Amino acid sequence: MTRAISDLHRGSTPTCYHLRITLVARPTTLAASMNSWNPVSRSRQYRPHSLRWFLVAFLPVTLLAHSTHAADDVNTFVSTYCFDCHSDATSEGHLNLQSLSTQQSTTHGGAWEKVIRKLRSRQMPPVGSLRPSDVEYDSVTGDLEQQLDQHFAAHPVPGRTDSIRRLTRMEYQNAIRDLLGLQIDATALLPADESSHGFDNITVGELSPTLLNRYVSAAQKIARLAVGGTSREPSGDTFRIRPDITQEDHVPGLPLGTRGGTLIPYNFPQDGEYDVQVLLSRDRNEHVEGLSGKHELIVLLDRLEVGRFTVQPPKDSKDHSLVDADLKLKLKTTAGEHQLGVTFVRKSDSILETVRQPYQARFNMHRHPRTSPAVFQVSVIGPFDAEGPGNSLSRQRLFVSVPATAENEDTAAQEILNTLLRRAYRRPIDAADRAQPLQFFKNARDEAGFDAGIEAALASVLVNPNFLFRIERDPAGAKAGDVYRISDVELASRLSFFLWNSIPDDELLSLAEQKMLGDPNVLDQQVTRMLLDPRSESLVSNFADQWLYLRNLDTVFPDMRLFPDFDDNLRQAMRRETELLFANILQQDCSVLELLSADYTFLNERLAKHYGIPHIYGDRFRRVNLDPASHRGGLLRHASILTVTSYATRTSPVIRGHWILKNIVGSPPPPPPDNVPALKDNTVLDSLPIRERLAQHRADPNCAGCHNLMDPVGFSLENFDAIGRWRERDADHLVDALGGLPDGSEFTGVDGLEEGLLQRPELFVGTLTDKLMTYALGRGVETHDAPAIRKIVRDARSTDYRFSSLIQGIVHSIPFQMRTAE
Amino acid sequence: MIITRKSLPRRTLLKGLGAAIALPLLDAMVPAMTTAACTVASPTKLRRLSYIYMPMGCDISRWTLPGDDLSELSATLSPLAPVRQHVTAISNIENRNAYPGTHATSNCSFLSCATAKRTESTDYYLGTTVDQIAARHIGQQTQLPSLELSMDLMATVGQCDNGYACVYQNNLSWSSPTTPLPSEAHPRIVFETLFGEGGSSADRQAALKKRASLLDSVGDEITRLQNTLGASDREKVNEYLNSVREVERRIQQAESNAKENPLPDLDRPLGVPDAYADHARLMFDLQLLAFQGDITRVTTFQLARETSNRTYPEIGVADPHHPLTHHGNDPEKIAKVAKINQFHVSLFADFLQRLQQTKEADGTLLDHSLLLYGSGMGDPNVHDHQNLPILVAGGAAGNMRGGQHIRFGQPAPMANLHLTLLNKVGIDLDSFADSSGQMDELFEPLSI
Repeated sequence: MTRAISDLHRGSTPTCYHLRITLVARPTTLAASMNSWNPVSRSRQYRPHSLRWFLVAFLPVTLLAHSTHAADDVNTFVSTYCFDCHSDATSEGHLNLQSLSTQQSTTHGGAWEKVIRKLRSRQMPPVGSLRPSDVEYDSVTGDLEQQLDQHFAAHPVPGRTDSIRRLTRMEYQNAIRDLLGLQIDATALLPADESSHGFDNITVGELSPTLLNRYVSAAQKIARLAVGGTSREPSGDTFRIRPDITQEDHVPGLPLGTRGGTLIPYNFPQDGEYDVQVLLSRDRNEHVEGLSGKHELIVLLDRLEVGRFTVQPPKDSKDHSLVDADLKLKLKTTAGEHQLGVTFVRKSDSILETVRQPYQARFNMHRHPRTSPAVFQVSVIGPFDAEGPGNSLSRQRLFVSVPATAENEDTAAQEILNTLLRRAYRRPIDAADRAQPLQFFKNARDEAGFDAGIEAALASVLVNPNFLFRIERDPAGAKAGDVYRISDVELASRLSFFLWNSIPDDELLSLAEQKMLGDPNVLDQQVTRMLLDPRSESLVSNFADQWLYLRNLDTVFPDMRLFPDFDDNLRQAMRRETELLFANILQQDCSVLELLSADYTFLNERLAKHYGIPHIYGDRFRRVNLDPASHRGGLLRHASILTVTSYATRTSPVIRGHWILKNIVGSPPPPPPDNVPALKDNTVLDSLPIRERLAQHRADPNCAGCHNLMDPVGFSLENFDAIGRWRERDADHLVDALGGLPDGSEFTGVDGLEEGLLQRPELFVGTLTDKLMTYALGRGVETHDAPAIRKIVRDARSTDYRFSSLIQGIVHSIPFQMRTAE
Repeated sequence: MIITRKSLPRRTLLKGLGAAIALPLLDAMVPAMTTAACTVASPTKLRRLSYIYMPMGCDISRWTLPGDDLSELSATLSPLAPVRQHVTAISNIENRNAYPGTHATSNCSFLSCATAKRTESTDYYLGTTVDQIAARHIGQQTQLPSLELSMDLMATVGQCDNGYACVYQNNLSWSSPTTPLPSEAHPRIVFETLFGEGGSSADRQAALKKRASLLDSVGDEITRLQNTLGASDREKVNEYLNSVREVERRIQQAESNAKENPLPDLDRPLGVPDAYADHARLMFDLQLLAFQGDITRVTTFQLARETSNRTYPEIGVADPHHPLTHHGNDPEKIAKVAKINQFHVSLFADFLQRLQQTKEADGTLLDHSLLLYGSGMGDPNVHDHQNLPILVAGGAAGNMRGGQHIRFGQPAPMANLHLTLLNKVGIDLDSFADSSGQMDELFEPLSI
């Protein structure tokens, strides 16, 4: 986060609002109205079978006078435009609107929500059949929505997030950071989470023996590191740098005037001496790559030089085995996190004289070899001559009380545990919560002293289900189907895991304990405060990364022959551009529509060269206002997204189209049916333009239904190649970027696509809200959530869809604040 | 070396200088985290496979044995003398699918007998290697289905050899045609994969006790939590308790095993030994421990990569290996290649000896293991893949005939040997890659 914020502040002149989040036009204080939904007054509450709600006019009880009229309209509309295909049991898509519109049932809200979705995106009736005018579309969907919304308002269905949900790996890592001031790498300690509904915090109910085993190991390791406990012997860590990283230029975070290498934030367990060893990258012949002449390697601790070595090719020999054999040093340091840097002194900047434009990527021995040596691996071993745990950040955070004498140890331990447990369990604690950790403390203290006691107690807290699981309980006496407001303490956790991907801090928790979060003003203030806090960066690194598939970039390997200038530096720069745009819109509280329409972006030299944008130098990202001729700007022009939706060798209009329908428009086509025949490679000539190849594919009616929707969307992006570069030609063919949206509109290129998408902003904003809601609730969004999402979008319109209005809308929504008992 | 008696100074050993220290004989060592039923202490037949790769062929004239047995050894194979009755040499094996003659395909076809798709990009395609087929069958009851080791700390990407992607040259093991398994050369990382932190037997007992008491607390706290939940959630929490019990069971098993069979000290190596031989012996030791502890039953080990430019000053070869193999029939260079070959064989012979010295159940580790040693290249001067240098060792428990020199009149496919070894450890396959049959010559006929 620090990086995101400082980059933004340095490089940009905010065009949007400073983050001053006030909720405009929130007509009723939802929280206040929800107070009536507490369990005490349950007698007045909604019972699923005691009330029925109705969609159309045939029904005996109507909601409001104008509903009757509206329902007539709906009925006429449906019979005119829909019954041709959706009027009996064997209807298209198993949707029988004729029976739906005559039934008096509460169970069909979901079906109607789907109808609304199809109508809103103008996917139905299909292009080519009799279609209503825009006015008719809007009036009928408006009527339908109004009826559903009114019913929802009277009988909210908040849905039910699972009662017991394990922390995800990232949540665990962030919780350790906030609990103990300790930055760990959870990917090294815990297995990966499963993703569903596009996010990794949904399928988190299980606790397998393997996972439990890993939790126990992780807890012991973290407890020892946090306390600075003594280990039996020195231990070590080895860091390897990806081989496809080019190390010819400055690395962010290292001093200017250096080149290549790496910066490692390292937790030194104790005060003492550590061995650092560096190995250099070698080619297949075991020669140190790029080694010609002398190079100076420096080792830095917190930016101070602690070691300097000269590496040079051996004289009169091709044997490089000893070149990096002596790159070892001992360094003395204090416990806690330090920045360990290993890098080279930059040599002259003379321009390479080559016939061709030199590649940016330099790591591939035969095609584009390194021109200077690179770091392969850094090992840290220690501590030797350990001098004790020192005064690390984690100790400061943990040891809130220090016993003056041995008699005070029990009291001090109690105080330490009181603070630790409340933060770790995210709720007030009682004597029963203290019992186990205190026992661990006493046993270990008697054996090995006070610190060991705290270490043992901490380990037991970190494997405690109250820490590992987020728990929401139905109120005492709640009956299945009852709807209730979740407790303030539970709400505090929902808030902090949504906005920070971590545990609540003391302020939020205290307010929750005082039951203050029911006050909408207090809640607003907290949300604003939390969004301004650096921890809200998790909305970028965790939410946006998953929503936009940026996480998949690490597994993308464009074909090295076709795209020889691709390296990890470019991959990370692509990802950063999108993250920074998203962060900017979040921080500056801009309209979320800017994600699509921005006329600026964030570039460093590597990415600017990739885009062909001149005059951007250095690895620092800065905001750049763009010329329309640059073809850059909004998300859909970002190399990250264009690459992650391509194959290794070519673009895929199908994947791109599907990605847009799913993540931007919010109406993904269903997964392919089981009986789809496999495409035979040789039936479609490779030399044909992609459009013609896909046209042959769509000739099959089994495929056409969905591909007619997806493919044209993707075609409009054909001017971007498989790694997101602008192109006018694809091999021997001129690019044809004629595309369309499922509403039947046709246009050319990404400009037309963006215009088409922005014409109905509620589709994009609704989709983003849907994704945010999924992430915030940790469950899939259901059709019964649609009215709540519509309300958020509707309310946000008056602020031109500022980001904070969506966040505030979600936080104040019924699904976020309430829950259905089971 | 990493198995030590307490009297040995630990630090000396960590520096990897203890080349001369033999492993103590550790009878019936039953490891942590395995159940008695699947440890080697139970009545056994052949249950382990180990593949050791020697890069860039050899000088075949100094390799080939003069007679039909190992009573008289060739110069290169002379280090095998102490274990000659446990080793069989095979002449005239070829690997047709390794053609065209390259370093990349020598390596990757050695265990796959598959033809590598010629690409320097990420669309590489090979075949599943024989060790991974074994891992799927005999590797499932152990902590690690297989262990991939090498000697070179390097990761190369892009093109390495004549249009072949580096993955072909770097990876001996492939778990599917598109999934190369990276090997590990750092002894500490291998050690931690196998044994965690290690330590003396008392240390390890204490560590197990700590884990057990933490787990107890998890169980108690989950039960406490369960009482505050509704009926449907209680059900789910019950499953958590099952997980707790399962992990507890494993720990108890490990504790009782450790009590019955006190383990030696396991000292974690920290750095990489400077000398090649020390490093290689450490890697062999780790394999021995992994076998002994039944932590894995399948290992692969690259003694060096193809095109390795390693020099071997400890045996007086200061020239890099790869250029030497393109000797252009210079007798001096050929002699140096043979010296390297002999050196590699001597490391293998040491390993065999230590396996032989380590008793378990009704025999030795060597009796219960089958080891294949060899190269995917025949004559490195011309990059061919015929008359490969191949040794098979161990396997007495499966009636392997040691001490023979099998000479095929017609070139025999490498895949036949792989198929034979797989069948011997109980993996019933009819064919593998381009196999045309089995090498029954290796084993005594079954007596009924």
